[in-house]
Amino acid sequence: MNNYIVLSVFLSLFVLFVGLGFWSSRFRKGDMSDLGEWALAGRRLGFYLAWFLVGADLYTAYTFIAIPELVYEAGAVYFYAVPYVGMTFGIALITMPRLWKISKGKNYVTAVDMVQDKFNSRTLALLIALTGIVAELPYIALQIYGMQAVLTVMIGQLVTADVATITEVALIISFIILAAFTYTSGLRGATITALMKDAIIFTTIIVVIVVVTVEVGGFGSALSDMGTKATGTGTLSNLYVSAFISLSVMSALALYLYPHAINGVLSTNSPKKLRYSTALLPLYGVGLALLALFGVLIYASPSALALAGKYGAVTAVPSLIYAELPDWFVGFAFLGIFIGGLVPASIMAISQANLLTRNVIKPFRPNMDPKTETRLAKYFSIVFKFIALGFIFLISANYSLQLQLVGGVIILQTLPSIFLAMYTKKLHKWSLGIGWAFGIILGITMLLYRNFIQLHLSTVTTTFYLFISQANSPFYFLYIGVYALLLNLLIAVVGSLIEEMIAGRKAHRGEQSQLKA
Amino acid sequence: MSDNEGSNELSLETRGTKKEKILVAILILVPIIVFSATPLYNFSGPTLFGLTFFYWFQTFWLFVSAIFFLAAAWMLNRMEGETA
Repeated sequence: MNNYIVLSVFLSLFVLFVGLGFWSSRFRKGDMSDLGEWALAGRRLGFYLAWFLVGADLYTAYTFIAIPELVYEAGAVYFYAVPYVGMTFGIALITMPRLWKISKGKNYVTAVDMVQDKFNSRTLALLIALTGIVAELPYIALQIYGMQAVLTVMIGQLVTADVATITEVALIISFIILAAFTYTSGLRGATITALMKDAIIFTTIIVVIVVVTVEVGGFGSALSDMGTKATGTGTLSNLYVSAFISLSVMSALALYLYPHAINGVLSTNSPKKLRYSTALLPLYGVGLALLALFGVLIYASPSALALAGKYGAVTAVPSLIYAELPDWFVGFAFLGIFIGGLVPASIMAISQANLLTRNVIKPFRPNMDPKTETRLAKYFSIVFKFIALGFIFLISANYSLQLQLVGGVIILQTLPSIFLAMYTKKLHKWSLGIGWAFGIILGITMLLYRNFIQLHLSTVTTTFYLFISQANSPFYFLYIGVYALLLNLLIAVVGSLIEEMIAGRKAHRGEQSQLKA
Repeated sequence: MSDNEGSNELSLETRGTKKEKILVAILILVPIIVFSATPLYNFSGPTLFGLTFFYWFQTFWLFVSAIFFLAAAWMLNRMEGETA
């Protein structure tokens, strides 16, 4: 293995990537000082681009790094990502064209615009906007973990000392470049570079699956070399069935609540094309399933296992690629994984910035002109990227995925205000706000209690809660998001009934006093 | 799916007969139900390329759900007609 070839292929493709990012601002040129142009690519993305853009939200370091890492480390329960993507597009097919139409009719740019308008409540809109911004941060952090994993293997094989420092410097440099092209090209940049990223990744997945399975003679031997994993190896351990279902269902509900996913949906040019591209997105999931299986396949490759042992479980996928493929291909594949974290990080930061300027700052400064609004959003997209980067340098997570799952608990609390509000007028703002608050409080409390008090851990390592410690109980392990969302929904529904009653009584009294007068 | 009386925004109503709406609901719900019914596929055999049923069945269902969803999308688009 010539590590300089790996590096030079990686670097030349990275230069190409950056060039593409800057060039894309000219693609279907629009006025980049307009927020709709910068953040929604002018709502002109057709079937293919929408497919790639929304696919880019899915095909992230979550898929390349985090899921395979945990399948490799903890076993079958983390294959939950496959039913998750199978289900989430069904949910999106029901909810998203409706959101698109509501938004087009009233010129909404974010889901929070809708919340603000429907409930006429600045406070509720503010809560939902801040929830989106906060929940997005660990998702961006996850992207950076993924990029770091690739750099660690590449640099670690090249030099002997200061791997961590060089990796950090490389990360900072790539973030500065990313910030610059997000600033100039906005969502267009992300969409066009998503094409490059997906082309590289698709090729990589197919090549690795074919080459490695042929080399080791099928998955059978890998599964048997995997030994016994706590959550199951060939099949899911019975103790983890409830965990598996709750993780997949909750993740499926959560994806299209994330600001970046909604941003992608609103940038398409028609609900019909949106339906078709959404319907075909489970095909992207096939790539995700194969990548998750890299976590199994690695057990068939002793040299890959040695690398992952040296650099940590988070490098399971890069280790497998490095160990099994020729140097030039390793450079190619590594770049794919690297920009597979960069592009989504850019999309996520754009959606955060969009929310912050439109739904947090603008309500307080209603006279802000559109140009200032856009400029502010561009600046904040840079700020958020570096906040996430700082996050990584400060906080160490045992498993990169857990951060995203914590974000999931948080974003799920916006479900009643966003999804349900599209279908019913019976929900009331106070109940939604109180339900949100209790959902967040319960979720965070359970996460802290489970990890730090019950299990005495030093970092967030699990997002499962165990109520009844009796095996075969359907409530053995459940994702904490379930409890938090259920409490939230209960309060939102019961509270709305009470609010309705009070409002009804007031109206009644009003009528009576009118009659008297 | 999305017929909600008196919605004031762009036409949100999906036209179409009750039969069509039920069919759309089935097309979307079947993959969701199958995926969430984990005990239905949590077995080791039969294997495919050495993979246990648990892994390959779910991967295979991604293709099936894409077909189901595509059919649902096509029907919804047809029911919606020219309005959108």
